[in-house]
This record gives sequence, C-alpha cells and structure tokens, in this order.
Amino acid sequence: MTRWAMVADLRRCVGCQTCTASCKLTNATPPGVQWRKVLDIETGEYPDVRRTYVPVGCMHCDEPPCLDVCPSTATRKRADGIVTIDYDICIGCAYCAVACPYQARYKVTKRDFAYDRENTSEEAREDPKRMGVAQKCTFCVERIDFGLENGLTPGIDPDATPACVNSCIADALAFGDLDDPNSNVSRLLAENKSFRMHEELGTGPGFHYIWEERR
Amino acid sequence: MPRASTGESRKVPTFCYQCVAGPEIVEVKVENGVATEIAPRFEVADVHPGHGKVCVKAYGLIQKTYNPNRLKQPMKRTNPKKGKGEDPGFVPISWDEALDIVSGKLREIHAKGVVDESGYPRLASSLGGGGTPVAYAGTFPAFLAAWGAVDFSFGSGQGVKCTHSEHLYGEFWHKAFTVAPDTPRCDYVVSFGANTESSGGVCGVMRHSEARIRGLKRVQVEPHMSITGGCATEWVPIRPKTDAAFMMAMIHVILHENPLSRIDVPFLKERTSSPYLVAPNGFFMRDPESEKPLVWDLKTGAAAPFDTPGIDPAIEGEFKVSGVEIGADGKKWKHRAKACRTSHQVLKDHMAGNTPEWASSITDVPARTIRRIANEYLDHARIGETVVVNGRTLPLRPVAVALGKTVNNGWGGYEACWGRTVLACLVGALEVPGGTLGTTVRVNRSARDRRLSVSPGPDGFMHFPGNPTDKKGWVRNPDQRHAGRTLVPLSGNSGWSPALGPTHMGWMSQKDGEFPGLPRMTTPDIWFTFRTNPVISFWDTETMCDTVAKFPFIVSFSYTHDETNHFADVLLPECTDLESTQITRIGGTKFMEAFWEYQGFCLRQPIIEPQGDVRDMTWIMTQIASRTGLLEAYNTAINKGATCVPLKTKAYDFSLDVTKENSVEEIWDAACRAGSAELTDGKESDGIDYYRKHGLRVGDFPQINWYLTPTLIDQGLRYEIPYQERLLRMGQELGNRLHENGIEWWDTQLAEYKAIPDWHDIPGIWERAYEKSFGANMKDYPFWLMTSRSMQYSWGANSGIQLMHEVAENIAGHDGAIINAARARELGIADGDPIEVTGPSGQKVKGRAVLRQGIRPDTILMVAQFNHWATPLAKDFGVPSINKLVPMLLDLTDNTGSGADLVRVRLERGRVQ
Repeated sequence: MTRWAMVADLRRCVGCQTCTASCKLTNATPPGVQWRKVLDIETGEYPDVRRTYVPVGCMHCDEPPCLDVCPSTATRKRADGIVTIDYDICIGCAYCAVACPYQARYKVTKRDFAYDRENTSEEAREDPKRMGVAQKCTFCVERIDFGLENGLTPGIDPDATPACVNSCIADALAFGDLDDPNSNVSRLLAENKSFRMHEELGTGPGFHYIWEERR
Repeated sequence: MPRASTGESRKVPTFCYQCVAGPEIVEVKVENGVATEIAPRFEVADVHPGHGKVCVKAYGLIQKTYNPNRLKQPMKRTNPKKGKGEDPGFVPISWDEALDIVSGKLREIHAKGVVDESGYPRLASSLGGGGTPVAYAGTFPAFLAAWGAVDFSFGSGQGVKCTHSEHLYGEFWHKAFTVAPDTPRCDYVVSFGANTESSGGVCGVMRHSEARIRGLKRVQVEPHMSITGGCATEWVPIRPKTDAAFMMAMIHVILHENPLSRIDVPFLKERTSSPYLVAPNGFFMRDPESEKPLVWDLKTGAAAPFDTPGIDPAIEGEFKVSGVEIGADGKKWKHRAKACRTSHQVLKDHMAGNTPEWASSITDVPARTIRRIANEYLDHARIGETVVVNGRTLPLRPVAVALGKTVNNGWGGYEACWGRTVLACLVGALEVPGGTLGTTVRVNRSARDRRLSVSPGPDGFMHFPGNPTDKKGWVRNPDQRHAGRTLVPLSGNSGWSPALGPTHMGWMSQKDGEFPGLPRMTTPDIWFTFRTNPVISFWDTETMCDTVAKFPFIVSFSYTHDETNHFADVLLPECTDLESTQITRIGGTKFMEAFWEYQGFCLRQPIIEPQGDVRDMTWIMTQIASRTGLLEAYNTAINKGATCVPLKTKAYDFSLDVTKENSVEEIWDAACRAGSAELTDGKESDGIDYYRKHGLRVGDFPQINWYLTPTLIDQGLRYEIPYQERLLRMGQELGNRLHENGIEWWDTQLAEYKAIPDWHDIPGIWERAYEKSFGANMKDYPFWLMTSRSMQYSWGANSGIQLMHEVAENIAGHDGAIINAARARELGIADGDPIEVTGPSGQKVKGRAVLRQGIRPDTILMVAQFNHWATPLAKDFGVPSINKLVPMLLDLTDNTGSGADLVRVRLERGRVQ
C-alpha cells in the first residue's frame, strides 16, 4: 500500500512563502486563495518569546471531517491517502469548509484577478469548474499520477513532486510514502521528534511536523 | 485543475537577479506563447548551492510581466510644473519622438562639455540598490562609459540602507565588501541583527537551514525578533545602537577573564598587527634605518623589524624601545628608550573597563548573558584544530560574529565592525574555514575573485586603494556632488565608489545648496533613473519630492507610474525580465552568502513577446548612443567589457564593428561567446543559443577560494587589526587638507579616525542631533523606530506586484507597524488600531498597530519601504514607512559618509478613518 504524506521540518522553515507563491502559480489560484501557506506564530511573552513558521494546508487526513459532512460525495479519499474533490459533483454547500479543523478549504463564487482586470496569464489559466465549489490543496495529485505513470518517484523526482516541496528554499518540506519504511519521509519521522496538528481530534493528518526544543 | 494546455508548451531557463543574493536560474513554463508558471531549475541543482531553487520574488515575474498597470509606450510630460501635487500630464509619443527628445537634450549638453562650471558632471544617473539593476540595464553602462563624466551621487538608499561601514572597513581589513560566517563549517554564530533568512537569498537560507540541522547554534542579538531571530537558538533583545558595547564586553571577557592560552596567539603574531609596538604619539614605533614597524623579540630581548626572520614577537607587554615614529604628512619623531606597548597590550588595556557589568547598563542585556555568550564563543573556537580544503591544511575555527544593517552603518558602524573583526582575530577565525569571511569585493580589484585583490601594502599589511590624503594627491575638487573621494578616503576609486557615498550628501547638496569650501553646488542638467525609486526609498521623502522637482530634465526608464518618474520629462518603457536579453556573471563568492564552487555566466532571454511597445534596454541605448553621435565610443565600450565580459582578449576576439548599430542579438551573442571563451581559456566559443538552452555556463571555483588567509600566508601579509595606524594617519591627513581649505564642518566625522575605537554614547548622537536641529525633547520621542528587510520586496521593485503583497501579508509587520504588546496596551492601543507615528522633524505617518511580543518596549518596527502615493496597487496599501520620518542631517553622517536607518519617534493612537 501507499500513504502519501507531507513532512514540514519546523527547524528549517523560514516563513518565506516561496511555497505559497509557487502553489498559487502552479495551481492558478485566485487572489486570497492559498492552498499552501505558512503561518508566522509567536509563543511566550516578552522577552521569552519564540517565533515559529508553520506551513499549513489540507492535511489529507486518514479520517477527513470534510468527507463525513459532504452531502454529494464530491469529497473522497483515495487509497493512497489523498483527499480529493470532484468539482463536477460538488454542490458548493461549504459544509466541508466549516467542518475542516485546519481551515484548509476555500470556496470562490466570483472571478477575481490580481489587478482590476484580468491579465493574459490569468485568462489562459481560467478554470470554470472551480467556480462555486470547494477547493483545497490536492498534494499536486496530477503531478503524482503523472510521475507514477512515467516511472518516477513522488517526493524524489521533481516532475512527480508537489510544487511547494520543489520550491522550498530551506528544504523544509518533504513528500513521500509513509508505508515505505525506507522512504524519505519515513526516515525523517523515524529519526526526529514530530507531531501532527490537532492530533486529539482523531483526524489522522497526513501532514507531520518535525521540531525540537530550543535553548 | 487549470485549463489544460492545448498547444505548444515549453520550459525556458532564464536568470532572476531581483536581489543582491542572485543571480539564480529560474524555469518559466510557456503555454501557447503565454508565461504560466515559474519553477526551480533542477538541471542546475548540482552546481547551485541552493539546489537549483529560486526565492519567492521569482514567482512574481509572471504578474510583473502581465501587470495591466505597466507603461507600454513612451510618454512625455506636458505640465512644465513639477511637484507631488502636480499632474505630470503624460501623453503617449512614438519611440522616434522620445529618442529624438532625449538625444537632442544629450547633444545639447555634450556640446557644452560633460562637466559644468563647478566641475560636476552635467549628466547624473541613478540605479536601484545593490548593483542588481545593472544586470537588467543591458548596454546602459556602455552608453555611460561612452559619455564620460557621470554623477552617481543621487542614491536610492546606498550609504544609508546598506551595510555601509562593513563595506568600507570590511574592504580595508579583509577585502570584504560584505561579510558572512562560513556557515557550512561554523558551529556558533553571534548575530547582531544580521537578517540572513530575509536577505541572504536562496544560498543563505539553504546554508543556514542545513547548518541548523547539523547543530549550528546562533544567538540573535537585536531589538526586535526578526525573521532570522525566529530561526535562531536564542534571541537577546538589545537596546538599539549599543551593539559595539556588547562586543567590547565579549572582548573583555576573552582577554581579562580567560588565560592567554585560550586565544590564537600564533594567528595574532603572524597575521595581525598585534605584536607591533605603539609609540608615544599613537603611531607605530619604527626601525630608524628601514622605517619598518618594530616588534619585541622574545628570543633576543630586543626590538626588531616585524619581518626579521627567526624572531618570536611578544604579544603582550610594555618595553623600552628606541626608534622613529612617523605621523601624518610625514611628521617624524625620534624616540630614545620610550615605553611602548604591543598593539595587543593596547587592546587589552583599552578593554579593561569594558566588563559585562559595564555593558549591561548600556545594552540593557544582563551581564551574565553577555559573559555566557563570550565564553560559549570561546568554547566553540576549537583553537589548534585544522581541516583540509582542496588538499590544503587550514585552521578550523567554527565561530563567527555577523552584523546586520543599522548595526554596521552610520555612527557606531566603525566600532561594531571593528569589534566583530577583533573577535574573529582573537580566536584566529578571520578568513579561515568555519570563521568570518568576506563574500564580495567591490572597492578593491579584481571584483571577480577576492584573492586577486590581495597585494603587498605598507608595513606588512595588504594594499588598500583608498583615496589619497596627502597634499599632492588629495582630490580638492570633487568629481561627484556628494564629494565622496574628497571626504571619504575609504570609499576608494573603483567603479562602485561613487555609489558608496555619502549619497545622502548628494541629496543634501541639492536641498541645502552649499558645502562651504567645496565648489559651488549645481543641479545636473539631465538625470537618468533606471529601476530605482529614491523618492520612496531614501529618507525625508517629503523633502525628496521638492528636491527632485527642481531637476530640470529627467529621463526615467519606466515600468509603471511611480513616485520618482512622477517628476520625469520623458518615460521610456523597457522590457521586463521575461522579455529581454542580457548575460551576467554567476557564482564565485557574492553577497550575501552566495558561496559557490562554480562561476561563469548566465542568460536572461526573451520568453514571451514584449507587452505593448516596450523595448529592450540594449536597443534603447544603441539608439540613444547613435542619435547622440556616440555610437563608436559606445561600441568600443562594449568591446572593452561594458557588457560584463571583454569581447576581445589575448585568448579570443569577438569584438563588434564599432561603426554600426549592432542588434541586441549580435551584442549578446558576442558576449556569450566571450563568456564561453573566458571559461575555457579560449578553447570554446558557444554563443547565445547554448545559453538559451542551458541557462548558464560555469567552470570550477574551488572552495579554497572562499578563504583569504591562505593568500596572506602565501604573500607573507597581515591584517591591520586590532590597531589601525593607517586609519589614524588617514584621518589626521584628511583633517589637515580640509582645514587648509577652510572646511571645518567635517570635524566631528574626523574624530572617528582612531587607531583603536572606544565606546562613546552612540545612541546619544541621534538624541543630540534632534535636539539641536529640531529643538525636540527626547522625552517626547520615547521610541526607536527601526526597519527590516522583507524577502518578498527587498531590491525587487516588487511593491506593485499583487502576488508579493498577498503572500507577504502572511508575515507579521507587512500590514502595519510592529509594537510591543504590553507597551501598546499601556498606551490604549489594541491590535489593528489606527496609529500615528511622529518623527522629530514633525513628519507623521499613519498605519495600523501590529501587536507582538518579539520586540523591545522602546522599539517600533516598520518592515520594508512603503508609503507609496503614485505606484499602482502599492499606493492603496496604507502601510507606513520609516523613510518619511528619518531626517537627513550632517550630524547623523559618520566618517564613511553613512547614516543608519533608525529614528526616534512618538506613538499615538490614531483616529478611526
């Protein structure tokens, strides 16, 4: 079996938003829609403060709350763990956006452009199917499927790897198969301390965070 | 997913050089002639220290290209009145008309002579910061070379928003225009505000990320917790502009609380001025015959010239010595049996009172913290250990001190840069693996390889090409309006020197008129601006508007309407990054932390058709050169190397016909061929097609080239530190020259030329200047307002790019001013509240409060540089900028001609709009 998962190394991430920008270009999301983004979080009180950069997005959960509430079966989970949305079936009720504890889903109801009018690149990349339906990070599923069809390894070969992982200038993001004990992500998690966000909710996120205590 | 491509789809390499950490190779996806995606260029991952990645700015290039706010045809001004409140009345014109207007004006000026009656160039030119615009300027430099004298005085932030003191002193001490830790081998860094994770580019971010995983500890000492501070092991909030006191206390701990055996005595003896004996007047004691500096030989118990074979120089102590002392302008003293201390002993005595307890009261950092950090630094230095690099055994000293902007420029910059370099030398960590390294070299030559800039100078030290201060050589009449070569010996006379300022004196010269004793101030007849917006990016921006409005004829190469070209007479819209052609150098060692094991050339190529009637800079400049009657000189400049590589050397010849208008393709194909030939000693001559396919061509640049100390060892040379006799002499001679010419307004700056610096009330310089200039009571201005670079915006001319704005808003401070949460609450200010910030000159900015814990209660932070009023999109941000509040004052100008980016302010809750 395969379980695709993302690992973010919080020791490495610098919050630069290169992944955010890369995702927006690769997936042609409109202004304000960020399937991938990085939070800039402070903890503690002056002068004992920590600042941490935390990449977030769809966690591709084992037990996705968004799937449970979907009345149209548009949201599904593949055998490899990727949670998908069928835009043809989605009725845009947005129950999923409310149910998601990670605030990872968006719904766009009117076309929006970077500037006051559509530019050439936006026109070329318009996707009417996304209008009025739920949308979110897909783990760049087309790239993964393309890679697998062409003998490539997701997480290793760039053409088969999510754009955010490819773009990361700190090598903070890793992607791979958790069911393969020798995969890059399995090794990272085996060798380091990690957590998952809102573990207590029982969603079983496919997004893991590596961290360590500082001084 | 987005609509599928139905036709042609290709991925094209090109370079991104939007910031000083570049260039890097980026891959652009083009579908049916439309640029759609940006991605890393993994094909170059093996040669690129950042594994082929590019930073967030590169992803904005598509919006930059298709931005509907672009100016897409030439324009001319119809309203002769210039002012912030005046509508320029720009109307579209043809390229023929635009070029005729510009070349007509140039011909008229050239006929009068390229310099005016005061000796100042009639033509002035400004480019954006960091030198990166040149990589987009095509053959503009060739035109300027063909023209003759050009004034570069009018900076966009150079001198005040760069690491200016580091540039000048770094080059003086170790050929280091910029300085960085040898991060891949370093174990412990004390960083005073060095914001590497924002401004270090892909190479810097990747190196530090790898190092953190390896176990690098970084202590970040800064008033606000920067992006980099967030990635550090520890944050130490320090009172602004007191960093030098912290470093002096570290030196105290090392010298007075640890035995001599814990420092690198052999390095100090052999590679520094530490053993040189200091005579009674502060200059070195010298051998009467050879006039070489003397040291005390422990073997013979007598003084000997520093380079006497077989001696063992004393590092500490005071000795009775006879000899001569040579001061400024050749003044000589003969001494008999005078007590002379070694330079190291002078240092040790000088630091005797600088205890951590002393520094604590100045820095607001607990003494135990300073002491612990000093000892941790020492503990990690691994003195005596070695490492083999490219077959050569070198010392391994994995500790470094890094400095950031505002720490290493303006008053206090000298003391901070000196402290950093002394801390490196005490443990033998200067320019060796693991230690503190220079990255770029700009004042010294060669600019391509720091090792080649090393040659013997006086007294066993390296040569430094400073501006002369002797009676015969001193530049009495400045060739730039900011008088850099006249006032600032350390700025040198390289191609970069005019940009090293003091550039705010260029602006002050226009505002205040005269600097008594210098030639009568004039305004340039014509001013070119390229990829720069000084009306926003410099200081005192309201006054900047009035100053620029007085310039009689301004030609702006333009992208969109902006705050500077608002005052222009002609707008020439140029092709942007994805539409134009140029090669530039890549690799080697470059700022900020770009240490490559390869170097070569990379190409920017047209990936899509130009949007509208915009033209390639090379085409524009060829036309202007031709219509101005300078075509032959322009082509000659290209042949000599104005395109970044000479087209003819002994090894190859791809020179162009100097009599014709060569096409953009012909010019850059020749440059590509010359680049290929340079990399292969003339064996290969691949032209532009090779670069179009691969993006770059490189040859080896071995790691050992990163380190300068091996070159000093080979040439038997030393670093002039911790005691700088040359600086003392330089300052005294400069003072003599200025006073001989009745110039006394630079006396405060002259006082900074010391052989060894000491702490003085550096923050107080600002407070006194505001009280003197504005009658401002500092009790009314209790906050220090500071700024910080933003990776999304810095250097990138990105303020009008929606994507950058959107993603930057995920990072605190991009939508307002950061204020300490508890202090804000005391003032009744909640997160998101409107605020008004007032500077000592009375200027005000408005914005929103961003409450954070990671900032001192006496500090406010405004990230990047906003406050636009003309640039489309950016003018609607409503985000305040420090620039409007910082006054330009001579009192706040240090001896290197630099100012620092901070100001005292008052904070009030604003009215809800």
